[in-house]
This record gives sequence, structure tokens and C-alpha cells, in this order.
Amino acid sequence: MAEYKLLLEHTNDPLFKTLAGYKSKGGYTALPKALEMERSAIIDSVKAAGLRGRGGAGAPAALKWGGMPKEKKTEHYLICNADEGEPGTFKDKQLLETCPFELVEGMTIAGYAVQGDVGYVYIRGEYMDGAKALRNALDEAYANNLLGKNILGTGFNFDIQIHMGAGSYECGEETALMSSLMGERGMPRLKFPHAPFPVISGVFDKPTLIHNVESYCNAPYIVNNGAEWFASLGASTKNSRGTKIFSVSGHVNKPGNYEIEFGTPLRELLELAGGVRGGKLKACIPGGSSVPVILAADVERAIIGYEEMGEVKSMVGSGGCMFFNEHTDMVKFAWRSALFYANESCGKCTPCREGTKWMVQILERICKGGGQPGDLDLLKQVANQIDGRSFCPLGDAAAWPVLAALRVFPEEFEYYIENGVSMVTSKPSLVGVP
Amino acid sequence: MSELIQIGSPNQRPRQPRPEDLKLQFSEQGVKELEALLTHYPTKKACILPALWLAQREYDGYLSGDAIAEVAHRLERSYAEVEGVATFYSLYNTAHKPGLHKIEICTCLCCHINGAWNLRDRLVEKLGIHHGETTEDGLFTLEEVECLNSCDRAPCMQVGSQYYGPLTEESLDDLIETLRNTKESTVVQYSNDIVQVQLRKGEA
Ligand SMILES: Cc1cc2nc3c(=O)[nH]c(=O)nc-3n(C[C@H](O)[C@H](O)[C@H](O)COP(=O)(O)O)c2cc1C
Ligand code: SF4
Ligand code: FES
Repeated sequence: MAEYKLLLEHTNDPLFKTLAGYKSKGGYTALPKALEMERSAIIDSVKAAGLRGRGGAGAPAALKWGGMPKEKKTEHYLICNADEGEPGTFKDKQLLETCPFELVEGMTIAGYAVQGDVGYVYIRGEYMDGAKALRNALDEAYANNLLGKNILGTGFNFDIQIHMGAGSYECGEETALMSSLMGERGMPRLKFPHAPFPVISGVFDKPTLIHNVESYCNAPYIVNNGAEWFASLGASTKNSRGTKIFSVSGHVNKPGNYEIEFGTPLRELLELAGGVRGGKLKACIPGGSSVPVILAADVERAIIGYEEMGEVKSMVGSGGCMFFNEHTDMVKFAWRSALFYANESCGKCTPCREGTKWMVQILERICKGGGQPGDLDLLKQVANQIDGRSFCPLGDAAAWPVLAALRVFPEEFEYYIENGVSMVTSKPSLVGVP
Repeated sequence: MSELIQIGSPNQRPRQPRPEDLKLQFSEQGVKELEALLTHYPTKKACILPALWLAQREYDGYLSGDAIAEVAHRLERSYAEVEGVATFYSLYNTAHKPGLHKIEICTCLCCHINGAWNLRDRLVEKLGIHHGETTEDGLFTLEEVECLNSCDRAPCMQVGSQYYGPLTEESLDDLIETLRNTKESTVVQYSNDIVQVQLRKGEA
């Protein structure tokens, strides 16, 4: 198995982001087909295809599509989560910049299937190139009756608006994103008991379907090639179907986005990215900064799949795959990871707001050479008190990398505390702190 | 908050202007754009973020007390609410008037292992300012930021709408020189770009 390009097949073709170029590669053949189908048939097809959300959690997409009210009593909204903020991930960026029509067509199909009125694409503020490419795509789609009123003469009306974020990782969490879209601080909201799921009551208190960019982009391919074909991709895995784009970075020779079929060994992803740079492979974070780190030996045996990655105690996550060579100081890395979550905590709940800062302070003390005997127990205790006790998953995501680093590299932490210097670099090494 | 947390600068916000001091300064074009943006949402409140971007352009890159007051007035929200929203997000300039160019250097995970700190130190030395500060000549503001999600280009940074990376010490020096000679504010340009991508063709 090697690269399997589905969404990214034409990413290098500069014309693919124009309507003419997109159509010349078979674009917009799925939408007319979908518009002739029964709504329930599209949803059944997404279900049979086994599409799971690509935003991180991997929830079955059909559960959301099918959960939207069948009988329409009020506006239905769609949201595309393009607030990509997970460190190590840059796949949505490339999709927006080079394949914007896949998103527009996919979202329109989804809009038809769930009787949507308006779709908002929430793009992180930094992604200007992607936003501009999407803007052009939307304008072309409007000009050609592929969006707006009475799409392709079918009586279906659907709008897509771009909403730019303004710098907050937490706004990627879906309920925080909806707060932000409604003009509030980007803090998460309670889903239960007021509204069990956004499909019942989401943005503006209306039924809302929210997906990641990559998730929507799959829809045209499912409609066009059929659910059975889609489900044959990744059939060797327990329950992961289709392809997944991985953003590979860190100490590799050719960092970039690589699309593979589920069931591909993780080691092949490393080969695609040109192998490790600057020494032997030490460790890997397969799915973005929030997922647990694994050792080189586990990279050798890991299979990419939502359930399969669990066997090496990690996750597919958002697909932000970072590889580290042998010269990486994992204690310092844990410190930087903890700092990220401390900086991005929205401050709503105590375990995360206070706990993330505690973790930074303990790790900082260790990295500066002043680690104390009980520090590792204290660190574990703090992390465990965040994990599972925070209001939204950002807290858990802050605790996991630290706990995983402690589990996988205990000797590095112990050495640091005992000797006041890093086992890897033989120096106390904390730059950037006064 | 701990004094050890780097990102997030001291925020000494101006006071709310008195109602009688409210001066509406949006340009005619700006007012038109805001009207168009309002049609994208079912509520006025939902337009706070887009309106703040607009205000950041109209007020020279800085969301001053007057800017917040104008947004609050136009959207019929309270000053406190709009200020609360503005200060939550890191891309709104609420701490002080930024320089012509805001240099956002990423020191997050992937850039961290790829030499970002050396570049950061070089910038501090070259510009004579630290995180969150602006040079006296009003040219540069320096910010250390979290992952820009361009880790394939680590170490990288962003200035206005533009990404730069992978950076070396030389390319960093060149870039600073180019920016020194760029008299148009990339901060204002960026805010305008954001307003424009949210508007449909021919909308305003
Ligand atoms: C702290 C946090 C940050 C998140 N960031 C993103 C993000 O940047 N992009 C994204 O698509 N999903 C993100 N998610 C996941 C979303 O909450 C949500 O599950 C996802 O958008 C659903 O789309 P999907 O069904 O297509 O996966 C984040 C979740 C959390 C808890
Ligand atoms: S865990 Fe709590 S403080 Fe942290 S981001 Fe979520 S709601 Fe905010
Ligand atoms: S860590 Fe710097 S761009 Fe991702």
C-alpha cells in the first residue's frame, strides 16, 4: 500500500480550484445526482459508506445526518469546522487552498440531505489563502446556480457564508465554535440537558449539522462512486472506511500532507514523508498534539485505523502526525505541549484553567534544572485531576500528552530531576522563559 | 495567572468613552460593508466578530475604546459585551496600538523542535522588543504565537496575511529589511482581507 489519493488527487493542479477545472475532473457530477435522490437515500448511503468525522473524534457521520429533524419546522444550519488549530495539522488548509469546490459541493449535498438553509464555514483567521480560494469558489458557484436560490432548477435553496475566526484554538471545539459564531467569547456550552446534540439545538438554537472540512469533502465521492466502493477502502480495518489525510511534520525529510487508505501501516506514512531526518527515529505523535506519544517500536507495528491505533495506546485524532529523532528532549517537549494548552485554555472551568498552568510550572522547574523529588508524582496527580474533570475535551487533551510522556519516557524525567540536566542534551534547557 | 505563562500580554484597556463622546468614524464604504455582513446572520450579535475585523481596519489596526464603542453602538450591544468578545481573541489588537507590521513567530511544538527559539531570540535582538511589545518607531510588533498550522514549513511565522517558512537566519533578516521598507500597514491590510473574503462578490 502506498499513497491513495482521493480528495487530494488533483491538489497539484492549479485549475482544480476553478469551476471549469473542477468540472473537467468530474466535479459537480455528484450534486445533480444527489438532488434527484431521496434525502433518506443519501443519508443511508453515508451510513453504508461508514464515513466517520475527520475532525478528531471520529464519530459516525450518518448519526449526525440522520439525527437532523425529518420534519422541518424551523431553519436548519450547517457548519463546516475549518478552524484547524491542532498543532501538527495542516490538511484542511491544503483542502481549502487547492480543492475548495470539493467542500462546496460536499456541503451542498449535505445541505440538501438534511434540509439545510445556510451553511457557515468557520475558518481560522490565519488561513487567508484558503479563505480567498474558498471565496472565489463560492462566487463562481453562485454565478452558476450551484448555490443560492433554486439550485439547478430543483427548487432547493442553500447559501454558504464564510465566517472568519479571530485566533483561539478552543473555537475548534464544536460548541465553542457555535458560541463564537453567535458573537460570543469562544467558550463551550453545555450540551446536556438543554440540547443533547447540535442536531437538536445547535447554533442560534436551531438544528445544526457540524463537520470538519475533510468530512464534507468525502460526500461527493460517496454519492458518485457508491457507498460500497467507499466502504471497500480500509476494509482491512475494524471500522475505519475511506482515506485519511495525514499532515506529516517534525524530523522528516519531506514534510507535507499525505493521503492514505485506512489500514495502511504507520511506518509507510513515515516512508512517504521521506524518512527520519537527523538521526534515528525516537517517537511519534500520530494524530496531533492531543494524542498520546508512542515509541519507535510502536511506529513499526501500528496500523492506521480508529480502533487499530488504540492497540499502541494512541489515536488517529486530527491526522497531525509528528515524528521525532533521537536528539529530541521529550521533557522539554512535554513542557511546550503543556504550555500550548495553558495558553489556549478558555478559562471557563477550574481543572483546566488552573491545572494546565500548574503542569507548566512543574515542567518548567524540571527543565530549568530545579526539579524536586516528588515532582513526577505531583505532575501525574495534577494531570489526573484534569483528565475527565474538565468541562470540555481540551482539558483531557492537555493531560494526555503529559501522562503519555511520563509513561513512555519515565527515565528521561527521572534523569532530569536527579541531575538537573537533560539526558539527551546534557544541558538544562529552557529557552524563552524569563 | 502565573507570571511564567508567556503568551498573552498585559492588557491595559482604555476606559469606555462617555455616550456623549461617541464619534462614529466608520467610512461610508465600511458602513455599507457592515450592512452587507449583517444580512449573513439571523441576529445582530452574530455580527460582532466580522464587525470587529471591520473596525480593526477602520481604526488603523487597533481596537481602541472608541472602536469598541462604535461597534457596540452599530450592533446595538453593550460596550462591555463587545469588549469582552474582542479581548478573548488573539488576532484582535486590543492591548495597544500595534506597529505597521505584526510579526507572529510560531514557537509551538513543531517549530520548537526546528529552531524557532533561535529565530525568536534573533528577532528580540534585532528589534529590541519582546513578546507583545512594539518598537518605538511604530514599525514592528512582536508576538510569539501558538501553532500556525503550517508545520510543514517549520520554523515559520506570519506577517499580515502572509506565511513565511521554513525560515533561516538569513531569510529572516531579509524579510525584516523588506518589511522595514513597506510603508503600508500589513495589519490594516490583513483586517481588510478578512472583511473582503466574508463578502460575496458585488455585495458591498
Ligand atoms: C479543543 C478542541 C479543538 C478542536 N479543534 C478542531 C478543529 O480545529 N477542527 C475540527 O474539525 N474539529 C476540531 N475539534 C473537534 C470538534 O469539536 C468536532 O468534533 C468536529 O468538528 C466534528 O466534525 P467531524 O464529525 O467531521 O469530525 C476540536 C475539539 C476540541 C475539543
Ligand atoms: S476544559 Fe474548561 S477551561 Fe479548558 S477549554 Fe474546556 S471549558 Fe475552557
Ligand atoms: S508548530 Fe509552528 S506552525 Fe505548527
